[in-house]
Amino acid sequence: MAVNKLSVKQIANRVKEVFPGTPDAYIIQLVNDALVELGSYNTKVSHAKISTVADQMWYDLSDGSADSSSMKLELNKINKVYMMDNEGDYIQIPRLTDTNLLLTDVTSESALEAPD
Amino acid sequence: MASNITYPDKHAVWFIEGNNLCILTNLDSSGSASTTASGRKTWKAIQESVTDGILINYNSEPNKVTSVSDYPDVDNNMHNGIVDYVKRCLYMDKAGKTGDPNQSQIALGLSQMHEKRWSDSSKRFGMKKRDKTGGTRVIKPFNML
Repeated sequence: MAVNKLSVKQIANRVKEVFPGTPDAYIIQLVNDALVELGSYNTKVSHAKISTVADQMWYDLSDGSADSSSMKLELNKINKVYMMDNEGDYIQIPRLTDTNLLLTDVTSESALEAPD
Repeated sequence: MASNITYPDKHAVWFIEGNNLCILTNLDSSGSASTTASGRKTWKAIQESVTDGILINYNSEPNKVTSVSDYPDVDNNMHNGIVDYVKRCLYMDKAGKTGDPNQSQIALGLSQMHEKRWSDSSKRFGMKKRDKTGGTRVIKPFNML
């Protein structure tokens, strides 16, 4: 049985019942704004693989970041992180909630941001 | 290529700092406990380069729509909420544009009504993850001894 869902056209039709002259392009913009807001909830869960680099501590998660296949991550919130073990299996690693607990050595770090 | 770490769950941790995922380990590139680092320098960046070495599970941004034939990239129970979001914005536009104060007030009221419906569908009935309030409760009685 097919699932009932609304296309942008159907959303626009419902809106145009009240606002008949609204251009489709503006409605598409507003739908995209709504999708950005919905992205902050658990609406879409994804998995991605990232390659580790020796001596690199920080891995970019910004809007432009990509996985090891150069696909955009489009990441909002990380739920779990797994690391490959010596047999090629992915094992979940714990999250450190208080980063001040650990004394870390960042002298090997190459990706530290310098002031610009 | 597999990594040299046998037990990542014991020897690696992650945390988030700003827009970055930070991965730390207390092992050297051969997967052995670091012998050169002293105690307070034990935890440092991963010492080896491994293709696809990390797998992350995350909430991602829905794909944007580009034409009227597209379907919003979210669960269909959120589609009606999107209609409310669009109407909320258009009523707000109308409230700002109209010269008649009465019309403006009516548009503002309708905007708030759609705002509430949007908010209910996305937050109250939606799939918002509430880390601190979700899950089962266990009552821990006060120790009287």
